[in-house]
Amino acid sequence: MINKDVKKLLLKVQKPGRYVGGELNAVVKNKEDVDIRFAFCFPDTYEVGMSHLGMKILYSLFNSKDYIWCERVFAPWLDMEQMMIENNIPLYALESCDPITDFDFIGFTLQYELSFTNVLNMLKLANIPILSKDRKNLGQIVVAGGPCACNPEPIADFIDIFFIGEGEEVDLEVIDLYRKCKSENKTKNEFLKLASQIEGVYVPALYDVTYNDDGTVKAYIPKDNAPAVIHKRLIMNMDDCYYPDNFVVPMVEIVHDRAVEEIFRGCIRGCRFCQAGYLYRPVREKSTEVIDSQCHRLSTNTGYDEVSLSSLSSSDYSQIVPLLDKLNKWSKDEKVSISLPSLRVDGFTDDIMNKIKTVRKSGLTFAPEAGSQRLRDVINKNVMEDELLNTCSVAFNGGWTNVKLYFMIGLPTETLDDVAAIAQLGQNVVNEYYKCPNKPKGKSVNVTVSTSSFVPKPFTPFQWFGQNTIEELHNKQQHLKESITTKKITYNYHDADTSYLEAVFARGDRKLCKAMEKACEKGFHFDGWGDCFSLEKWLEVFEECNIDPDFYARRQRSFDEVLPWDHLDYGITKEHLIKECQKAYKDTPTPHCRLKCSNCGAAKYKGGVCFEKRQNMV
Amino acid sequence: MKNARIWFKKQDECIYISHLDLNRCMLRALHKSRLPIWHTEGFNPHPFATFALPLSLGFVGENESMDIRLLDDDYPFDKIITDLNDCLPTGIRVFKVTEPVMKPGKIAYADFKMLLSCDNISSDKLLDICNELFNMEEILIDKKGKKGVKQVDLKPSLVKYTLERQIGGTQINITLPAGSTNNINPSLILDAIKKYYNLDVNANVTRLNVFNENFEEFK
Repeated sequence: MINKDVKKLLLKVQKPGRYVGGELNAVVKNKEDVDIRFAFCFPDTYEVGMSHLGMKILYSLFNSKDYIWCERVFAPWLDMEQMMIENNIPLYALESCDPITDFDFIGFTLQYELSFTNVLNMLKLANIPILSKDRKNLGQIVVAGGPCACNPEPIADFIDIFFIGEGEEVDLEVIDLYRKCKSENKTKNEFLKLASQIEGVYVPALYDVTYNDDGTVKAYIPKDNAPAVIHKRLIMNMDDCYYPDNFVVPMVEIVHDRAVEEIFRGCIRGCRFCQAGYLYRPVREKSTEVIDSQCHRLSTNTGYDEVSLSSLSSSDYSQIVPLLDKLNKWSKDEKVSISLPSLRVDGFTDDIMNKIKTVRKSGLTFAPEAGSQRLRDVINKNVMEDELLNTCSVAFNGGWTNVKLYFMIGLPTETLDDVAAIAQLGQNVVNEYYKCPNKPKGKSVNVTVSTSSFVPKPFTPFQWFGQNTIEELHNKQQHLKESITTKKITYNYHDADTSYLEAVFARGDRKLCKAMEKACEKGFHFDGWGDCFSLEKWLEVFEECNIDPDFYARRQRSFDEVLPWDHLDYGITKEHLIKECQKAYKDTPTPHCRLKCSNCGAAKYKGGVCFEKRQNMV
Repeated sequence: MKNARIWFKKQDECIYISHLDLNRCMLRALHKSRLPIWHTEGFNPHPFATFALPLSLGFVGENESMDIRLLDDDYPFDKIITDLNDCLPTGIRVFKVTEPVMKPGKIAYADFKMLLSCDNISSDKLLDICNELFNMEEILIDKKGKKGVKQVDLKPSLVKYTLERQIGGTQINITLPAGSTNNINPSLILDAIKKYYNLDVNANVTRLNVFNENFEEFK
């Protein structure tokens, strides 16, 4: 339902299909028939946002209620944004084409720190005051959730409510409370105070922060009866958890253009750099029966010929082979292919390979994360080199010739030798190819080595670690480049500048809100995109605000420092993180959840992997 | 096995998707519909479908067609219409299914309706400009193709047309060469107005129908 004003712009911008809605399965309701209008905003482009599973789940869930109309909003790309500003067209929702200015809720999902400027920019484009305190009425409630809500402080001045943990239940509880408050003519403040009593709701305005002389946090002081600690919400029974049987099917090509089935939440592995692995504990699986029927329904309702089994580490699903057998019973006949992203090096067996390559053969990607065994022990990536080589050998014998290997540089305790070991590992994979008797005839092998720069994240054992300087990271990239001696290895690396800014915001506190505000004034957006990002401009902003970004990115914290996210509880005890951190510096790995409980604290949720029967104990 | 020609309209939101996206959209609809159709037998099997003539992004299509192969010779054509429409976005509507008579390669002309409007000048002035342009001796314009930019003269292609004043603009109805050998995109007329008069005009373009070299309707 595009209106005339928008129509005029569409033929002047790239990929106008992103701005028109009208896709199969998009939900259009009559606005007179609903009490709540919810603008679900993804602070990135349509192609990125439409690939995001969380949005699909919540969009369908909200729209399953007859009193809510949830619509999708994405950040317009640079050309469209320019056009919209020039023609006075405020940011609009795709389903109705109505400006989101007067919606009841403006909800953001926070997937990565570099999208924060887009959050503010989208509010600006919608003519909504960016500061929470400037939005005085009950309406335009700006809410946010997702992984980056685990340290919400750098955007605390702008967001009314953060959802801590998984959204399926708490979001609806807050919407229902709002609906009640609206009918009783309550004020925004009254609503926020009541909302703060719901578990998993963090209302930053209800907390005063005090600081020590050195700039570190002294304390968070709750006001108006708000809880001192906010506990995350999570769904314990994944089989009963709401899951859509229908996705909006985009007409333009998006990043992940396929149906997605979530097979479990959490990860047993406990890699020490991985925030998701900690935030989503404990592991909770769906049963094979539920996955099977959900996959089938999804592919039937969307017409997608590919279903991807999604999780943090899909081969760790306890019933993976029986599941694939079950899926293969119908998928082959219906010409649907099943794909398994996020495979682990040790999870790729002959058996699995034969079951997933039924239709399509894509590239293989593994993430050893570090080049040397010592460093892999530090980060607790329990993958052995011979496991990787065996896996590659299986793949080469199965006809694959492209392998991608992902690594991080700038990890705690890393030396130049560890960096050079990445090149050696790549070389060993190349050598393995030529040892394979059944390798594809007459074809050369291509190993792609990619490195990203390590960003220490809250709620991980490395949350105290001071990031490498940009110069150190450049040196390491250079050293790796020089250590690679064969043309069969392609080396790509991520820009260290963006990782630095990410590190600033990942562990930032409320003082950064000033910088965010200034950045928004200056029109910053799409920091995650090379087209727009400029560290130089950011350093200017920090300087103008009297903020030292190194304080956040580079500073090594002590274990007794109060961290800006200490008042949030994700179920992992600080003692556990400290213990893991100490083990890391002693090169000592920790076995995964199914081998041995490491007593992280997640057992308090009384379910999931913490209460599974362990095979070695039977 | 039996060939079927699916006739559809491309309109509303769906005019903003490219030919490649339309192709993908159709394949998904075919997959979802479970119609008994033939799949390619290559490395990545997919439903077989070919389009008679791609439609530019931004154009409405009144009489677009796509060919498929039915595995079931007795599958009713009427049912194909409802089956597919249930699986397509509302901007793409199937209205007819026929057995193909002509080959898509026979297409030589297409009929367009163009509604031109311009914020800066009056409708009368716009009509004058169009008349003047169409009566020029030659209209040289850069045409971007796969092999780079090539200069073409539009004049010989402007043979069958009408120009008339409409509320808020000018309506052009025109028959232009179309197909794989000689194709003139009506947007070149807009380029010409830009080149010779330095005017940015908006245009709603509709492809009404396609024809063979004898101006017989494509069937």
